[in-house]
Amino acid sequence: MDETIFQLILPIVGLQLILIVIALIDLKRIEETQGPKWMWALIIIFGNLIGPILYFVIGRRP
Amino acid sequence: MQWLVIFNKELLEHLRNFKWIWVPIVFILFAVMDPITTYYLPIILESVGGMPEGASIDIPSPPPAEAMMMSFNQLSVLGVLIAVVISMGMVSSELKSGVYELILSKPVSYIHYITAKYAAMSVLVSISLVISLIAGWYYVTLLFGDIAFSQLLVSAIFYVIWFLLVLSIVMMFNTMFRSQGLVAFISIIVILAINIITSIYSHVLTWSPALISDYIGIYLFSGNMETEMWMSVLISVILMVVALTIAITTLKNRAIE
Repeated sequence: MDETIFQLILPIVGLQLILIVIALIDLKRIEETQGPKWMWALIIIFGNLIGPILYFVIGRRP
Repeated sequence: MQWLVIFNKELLEHLRNFKWIWVPIVFILFAVMDPITTYYLPIILESVGGMPEGASIDIPSPPPAEAMMMSFNQLSVLGVLIAVVISMGMVSSELKSGVYELILSKPVSYIHYITAKYAAMSVLVSISLVISLIAGWYYVTLLFGDIAFSQLLVSAIFYVIWFLLVLSIVMMFNTMFRSQGLVAFISIIVILAINIITSIYSHVLTWSPALISDYIGIYLFSGNMETEMWMSVLISVILMVVALTIAITTLKNRAIE
């Protein structure tokens, strides 16, 4: 039982991680963000699913 | 040719903004979340505790069609929200920054400008939507039971039409306002109003585009396509064309001013 839970949840966790990593890579590359960069880094890492979405929608606006 | 240039430029821009990566991922997570939490609800309740000693939790497992509808419903709310938010700056940001004047100082037709942008966004949203529904379907068949894949694909195609209508509404308001926030706000209000009015007068407005997801539910449960579904699709397409035409004319009038 525990193993099946693991297999089912793993892809979801993976996707979330990809999302966070991409947001962080983009944050590193981008010149300017709305508000300070370190704040966005915190939001992306600790914001769960909402964090990266907020960053892509609001944060990276020129 | 000119249309293709704008279309390709838009697709490239979506790629550079990572939209091609994050929008599908977010949609997949939305579609998958609800069926999974429903499936594991008894276990979650057990581990959280707080249940009186000896209380047995008997939550009947929903039929596969109902579980699949959870994915659709989740996307109807959060998916639409994301679609609105990613397209709120399609034209309005270019109006504001002046890029738009730069583009239209060249002999670019308004029709090409609007439709190419709309098409590029539609491709992104539609593909994300279909991928996420397939992911949702995968989990539903795994956890709750079988749904025919062909049935899901047909449902997904119909569902895409509702999203295309949403995008055309956003595009219409894009040409009217310069502020992205205002575009998103008014679009959401209009879409909410369509949903609310439809749910109040659902017995009269059987052709309403907002009922597409309801008809999909009936289709998944019974396997029969309601004839009203086609009416909803037809009305959606008509409204889409109207919204885009309004967008093109407002942009033209803006240039004359």
